[in-house]
Amino acid sequence: MSEKKKAQELECAAKGISRRSFLRDAGLAAAVPAVAPIALGGDASSPRRETGAGDGPERAGAECACPGEVELTVNGERYHCTVEPHWSLRQLLRDQVGYTSPKDWCGGQGACGSCTVIVDGRPVLSCLTLACECHGTVVETAEGIAKEKHPLVEAYIEHNAFQCGYCTPGFVCTAKALLDRNPNPTEADVRDALGGNLCRCGTYQQHPPAVIAAAEELRRDRSRS
Amino acid sequence: MKTWKKFAHIDADSVGQAADFLRRGNAALLAGGTDLLGRMRFEILPDYPEVIVNLKTIPGLRGIREEGGKLRIGALTRLEDIARSPLVRSRWAALAEAAHRTASPHIREMGTIGGNICQLNRCWYFRIPDNRFHCIRKGGKTCYAMAGDNRYHSIFGALKSCLAVNPSDTAPALVALGASIRTSRRLVEAEKFWDMSVPGSTVLEPDEIVTAIEIPPPPPGAKSAFLKFAIRKSIDFPIVNCAVMTGGGDVRICLNAVHNRPWRATAAEEVVRGKAVDEALADAAGAAAVAGARALPGDRNKWKIQIARTLVKRALLASA
Repeated sequence: MSEKKKAQELECAAKGISRRSFLRDAGLAAAVPAVAPIALGGDASSPRRETGAGDGPERAGAECACPGEVELTVNGERYHCTVEPHWSLRQLLRDQVGYTSPKDWCGGQGACGSCTVIVDGRPVLSCLTLACECHGTVVETAEGIAKEKHPLVEAYIEHNAFQCGYCTPGFVCTAKALLDRNPNPTEADVRDALGGNLCRCGTYQQHPPAVIAAAEELRRDRSRS
Repeated sequence: MKTWKKFAHIDADSVGQAADFLRRGNAALLAGGTDLLGRMRFEILPDYPEVIVNLKTIPGLRGIREEGGKLRIGALTRLEDIARSPLVRSRWAALAEAAHRTASPHIREMGTIGGNICQLNRCWYFRIPDNRFHCIRKGGKTCYAMAGDNRYHSIFGALKSCLAVNPSDTAPALVALGASIRTSRRLVEAEKFWDMSVPGSTVLEPDEIVTAIEIPPPPPGAKSAFLKFAIRKSIDFPIVNCAVMTGGGDVRICLNAVHNRPWRATAAEEVVRGKAVDEALADAAGAAAVAGARALPGDRNKWKIQIARTLVKRALLASA
């Protein structure tokens, strides 16, 4: 990964955030510093802050009651981001962190599986996951799966398990989560696990053999080591 | 992708605190989010919540355990965890299968049992983005499905003039298994838990929160089964589903997606009660289950009657 890309990925800036008056009344708004924007240096654990506008109620519309800041691990690297409550995890990954593999097809209804990422071992839809609820989570995207040279990548190429490739990151994430949980899946297991991923090119037949081949490769790797 | 309009977000630390936010008004509870967040993104309801109250931060609302033979499932337990649980699979098979057949694998990894039983009913006029049909269910004056395309709608008539159906897969299993729903205020029999309110689908008060599901031990020798008919087996809502528990001198049959609330098929239960189920008896029970069903004018949803009849028959044979 180039330094420039890395720098871009680390730049998790948020728009201004202020509190809502009723939350202040309720005494619940303790953890909402209003900062705009936040730029991160190399050390993600101690972000360099550039203070911006105050947190007065005059900043209408941008009301927030979540901590505003989340720290999460994406593809093995830690990120410290400031998020608004109405951001999806997909938005955070694509627009702030810079991983573009979580795709949008169904428009955010949870109907296609193209935005699948792995959160704490579970394949979930990043379009229907709130970014502010991802504090402390470990997230894997298709980029991370490719980076670790997971056998799924070669198996997908070998078995032509994609045509246009748009849905592929979602399929690969779902398959990776399956293999993490079940290292020896049957064809029925694979079909079942991939049941929420849609492919308009119709490559469905190729997925089970690809995933089973990757599982075999993984088992061979493990027996070697 | 459409982005959400702004809202505030609270991580609740107790059920009482979450209820406080509900009492304040214009707040919505968030568990798995698969129904609520999609609904909000497409603004299907006239009102948009100002505050989202995250329940997942409340301790003690997740997990499956057996207490004195009774099964207790926390409201925040994910559907996939219920589907995979050896305990649920062994003695409450209809629920495990219903959880396994709900939506898609991803939605099951996110969605909770509490959310599944509280989801809003389905009707494509009600659910269309931007509230383009301000129907009776949203406080309007017209049921657009009555005159419109109602191929997926109720075969047991309207409830409060609404033809939408309850789409939950776990709901009929809970009714068939004789479950109760534990809330922040009371214990409600599953059979009495669903009712059409505006815009909800349950008997919950505006500040009442589901905390757990409690299921009694199945009678000795009883077996349960769940069957679902959907257009795409791996992802879709049911066209009709059916859960059955037989044996131990009892029989309970419940259909869903045929009415505004789960439909207990008592007439079919009478047909098989006390008898050994065989093909002919199961067939007769299927016929009895839909004896009161009526297709809507135009017969667009008539096909669902045949599916309901067949599912009752097959589910009885599967649990015999």
